[in-house]
Amino acid sequence: MNTNLIDNYVSEIGRRLPKKTRGDIEAEIRSILQDMLDERSQKAGKPVDEEMTLEVLKAYGAPEKVAATYQGERYLIGPRLYPIFMLVLRIVLVVVGVLAAISLGIALSHMLNPQNAVETVLTAIGNFIVSVMTALGNLVLVFAIIEWALFRAGAKVDFKGIPNEKEWDPRSLLNVSPSSLIKVGETIAEIVGACVAIIIFNFYPQILGFGIFSNGNWYVGAGTAVSTPLLSQAFFHFVPYLTVVWVLTILLDIGLLRMGQWNTMTRISFIGLKVINIGIAAAMLGAPTLLALTAASLTPALGSAESAHSLLTLLDLFVRIALWLTIFGSIVEIIRAISRLATKEVIPHFAGNR
Amino acid sequence: MTNESFENGILELRRGVILLAVLSRLDQEQYGYSLIKRLAEAGLEIDQGTLYPLLRRLEGQGLLQSAWRVETDRPRRYYVLSDEGRTLLPRLKEEWIAIVSIMDKLL
Repeated sequence: MNTNLIDNYVSEIGRRLPKKTRGDIEAEIRSILQDMLDERSQKAGKPVDEEMTLEVLKAYGAPEKVAATYQGERYLIGPRLYPIFMLVLRIVLVVVGVLAAISLGIALSHMLNPQNAVETVLTAIGNFIVSVMTALGNLVLVFAIIEWALFRAGAKVDFKGIPNEKEWDPRSLLNVSPSSLIKVGETIAEIVGACVAIIIFNFYPQILGFGIFSNGNWYVGAGTAVSTPLLSQAFFHFVPYLTVVWVLTILLDIGLLRMGQWNTMTRISFIGLKVINIGIAAAMLGAPTLLALTAASLTPALGSAESAHSLLTLLDLFVRIALWLTIFGSIVEIIRAISRLATKEVIPHFAGNR
Repeated sequence: MTNESFENGILELRRGVILLAVLSRLDQEQYGYSLIKRLAEAGLEIDQGTLYPLLRRLEGQGLLQSAWRVETDRPRRYYVLSDEGRTLLPRLKEEWIAIVSIMDKLL
């Protein structure tokens, strides 16, 4: 018998198998191959030779194929994670797209020489492609790790939010009212907005600023040419709290997208978030000015200290109005959510189910 | 195309019966190759790539138990029904008989 052929064949299969079961499966295949060879040798009435060994190995199949039969189906991102992967992917791509558009806008608005427009746009496209590839790569990596961990744990977790047959009650269909269905577009827009806000205020706070070009024109906007920041230190003290709210908003929205409709828990969480919002807005109203602009920094652009002063007063008023509107809007939303909670339909019982 | 559909249909049909066929032969212990032979003699040809991994999966599910033993000249892995497998087999048989009678009526 050509043991070398068999050894190589078995180890070719073995190296494609997980370490845990490798030795055992190798031994079993080896013993089966020897049984097959014995049988052929008996039938042929001659000892096992190389030709016979080759025939048996051919019949047993290519090592890759044999190894695959022991592995079951393996996925980088399996069916249970795929729906949520696609959801997160869409959100991430929209966020990357929005950020790319913002940075292109900034780059174009700060371009002193219009002849560089083509170069600026091409650079932006290049950056966008790199960002998309990076985001996609990281996302796939994260999901692949989760998939692998679930596989290792042998978990039978269902991430599609689909209840199993026993838990599912057809009567839940009666409880779906148009007001409890979530608006997918709005929810995704909110997630995108929160992501952009988290990224800008935490990582690029300097891009929101006020500056004066060498030709005397002034602007309020963003970019590296900024000379004076638009928002004050007082504002940035609130950023950690705002970030928490944005992160919680994203988590709630992802939960809502998965469930497709509001329930008691999500409504209570929503109310909680709105209460925190009111708290932050109220604290901002009581804080020193949120704008970093001063009459002195505006005077050169506006020509006189008086007009600079009135613009500043106006801007400050706008900020205050915006904060009051936030508080007022949140109160309205809380009342609406509470009324939906209170008027929740009583689930009718089936006649036969008493 | 028709041929391919036929092959697929056959595969689907066999997939359903292999489990029962395998369990039915394992009230006495068998090693892999002897089991495949016994099934083939009875007229059921099972691909080795299907049978051996299936035996391991069934053992993992607790329906079979196995042990390495040296008989005649070399070690072989012997499989036999576990207690759980022995309880399950008659219930599956009953289900199979019911399916056959329904299918007889349908066909």
